[in-house]
Amino acid sequence: MRTAYKVLAYLVAAEVAVQAMVMVWAIAGLGKWVAGGGVFDKGVMESEGSPPFPEVAGIMVHVFNGFFVIPALALLLLIVSFFTKARGGIKWAVIVFVLVIIQGLLGGLGHDFTLAGALHGLNALALFATALYAARRVRAATAAAVERPEARTAAPV
Amino acid sequence: MTGHSSRRPTKAGVTNDSRWVLRVALPVVATLSIVAPLAWLWQDSRVPSVYSVMDMGYLDYGVGVMADTSGGGHGGHMQGDMPGHVPGHEMATPRLVTDMVADPPRPADVRVDLVTRQQMLSVGGRSISGFTVNGTSPGPEIRATQGQLIEVHLRNESVADGVTLHWHGVDVPNAMDGVAGVTQDAVPVGGEFTYRFGADQAGTYWYHSHQVSNPQVAGGLLGSLVVAPKAGIAQQVDVSAVAHTYGGVRTINGKAEDLRVPAKPGQRVRIRVTNTDNGPMKAWTTGSYRLLATDGTEVHQPTVVSGRSVTLTAGGRADLEVTAPRDGTAFRVQLSKATAVIISPSGVDVPVPAQPADELDLLTYGTPAPVGFDPAHPTRRFEYRIGRRPGFVKGRPGLWWSINGRLFPHVPMYVVREGDVVAMHIANHSGEVHPMHLHGHHVVVLARNGVPASGSPWWVDSLNVLPKESYDIAFVANNPGIWMDHCHNLKHAAQGMIAHLMYEGFDTPYRIAGPADNQPE
Repeated sequence: MRTAYKVLAYLVAAEVAVQAMVMVWAIAGLGKWVAGGGVFDKGVMESEGSPPFPEVAGIMVHVFNGFFVIPALALLLLIVSFFTKARGGIKWAVIVFVLVIIQGLLGGLGHDFTLAGALHGLNALALFATALYAARRVRAATAAAVERPEARTAAPV
Repeated sequence: MTGHSSRRPTKAGVTNDSRWVLRVALPVVATLSIVAPLAWLWQDSRVPSVYSVMDMGYLDYGVGVMADTSGGGHGGHMQGDMPGHVPGHEMATPRLVTDMVADPPRPADVRVDLVTRQQMLSVGGRSISGFTVNGTSPGPEIRATQGQLIEVHLRNESVADGVTLHWHGVDVPNAMDGVAGVTQDAVPVGGEFTYRFGADQAGTYWYHSHQVSNPQVAGGLLGSLVVAPKAGIAQQVDVSAVAHTYGGVRTINGKAEDLRVPAKPGQRVRIRVTNTDNGPMKAWTTGSYRLLATDGTEVHQPTVVSGRSVTLTAGGRADLEVTAPRDGTAFRVQLSKATAVIISPSGVDVPVPAQPADELDLLTYGTPAPVGFDPAHPTRRFEYRIGRRPGFVKGRPGLWWSINGRLFPHVPMYVVREGDVVAMHIANHSGEVHPMHLHGHHVVVLARNGVPASGSPWWVDSLNVLPKESYDIAFVANNPGIWMDHCHNLKHAAQGMIAHLMYEGFDTPYRIAGPADNQPE
């Protein structure tokens, strides 16, 4: 379970990195397309079918990751944490999960209240750091447990 | 190995039990406490493989209903999850949507044959998979004169998902509304359907498929419909400009280029602009213009406007009047920044005018006139609150649109009785713009954000509701049947932003999904 916990936490962190990358990729594509004479407005934004520029895929990946993949990973991490014997494991999984929820709400809110978009970017860094920390501290705890077996028995659950 | 010693049952049974509780039971309970509510929400959001829109959501009779003669007066606010069918149904045989047709024996004045195909389109040098009507997208413009009976014979040659035709903005008899699964079955490949309706109100309208409508409309299964007034129009030139975006390519009348209108110097030109996209579009001009009509209804005493843009919501229409320049210059009507209608008798062009910061406010445009009923004393009041919240729709997790706090399919079925004066309060708390479209009726805007309308009666069938905005609208329930009342950002409709308006005692023989695979969104 420690391995599962670690892997899930690392995956959340990796996904946050992917989220940042695909958005900047999409915005770069948009800039290039507009520079080439393209006009981007609500009609184009909401149009269906083949996208006006290929980097639109970045937005689609961002939405899919943000709505489905990352919440699912965070939820799995939370569930796995219940079965993982690591001090504070549940606490950090809860923090990751809460940050993911906040991230989704900030993302949705940013469509109208644009400053929420800025906080979405800031919260992404918090989520990235937290997920990374959660993964690394379990690894550290495992190492500590191997080095000092008595530490394990002393710790209830 | 010390680490494993605690698993052995070496201590007293009580300790083992408590350890077992800590090790296994608690985590399992914690997991279930998370997973079980999610599983319940998930299953609750699923819709049956076949269902009637009559069984969807809950009945909303509104507030302030007068006592009625049937003895079952619905005083106050009534709603509840729909157990099956409407109370009125037990009392009498329901009237069917299919009964609501236009004068069957009357011969048609305008006959049109339309053939739909699924094919590749060439738009702006790109090849895009889409749909055609009679070989083109948009399809042919249907023109009629007020008072005529239009008969359209539809044949679906190759659209695999099936098609229908919805007459956007025309208050047709219910059976002709073209909503798959509500007023008819989708027309399969090789199938046919005949639409008949009176062109009773002069104006600019359009038609589009209402089967799998999000991809089909985006793919171009649409066309223009114009009903000319009997007396003719005051302008010398009458031109339609159907704006549509194919895969990100903006077009007018299907071409990714400006539309040049032949007009002589000094001639007045009526430009019938239709926004067939999912998002609002702004139109603005090099000089002054008048806004003659919105959504097929004339503005009362429209004044000359300059330096302001007109917003056309998704599905909305605006008739603009401009004058062809006499001084050898050109006049541009921008339909977004990308495309324009150019009126240039001399053949020259002018630069794209800057997009005005201000827009024409229809709440105050024109002068007041009677609306034909008393909206101050409605017999029913409804709420249509649009929100957005996390949850499941059709088994899929996400951040979804809510109507009155609930997610599809637990949405209201607004119940009215023929003759009702209906008031509706639309409020948008969802953070995104929504083009709200009620089928079969025109609604008049009474107020926006509590500020009463003070201009010409502002009649719409598609209303642009921005985030944080609220509208008070009213209409007369004078077209019996079952009508969609949905967001015309068809993506949002597909995401469950769909409610219905039904007249008491009505039912539909059609089903969503089912053998015809009806998918109106």
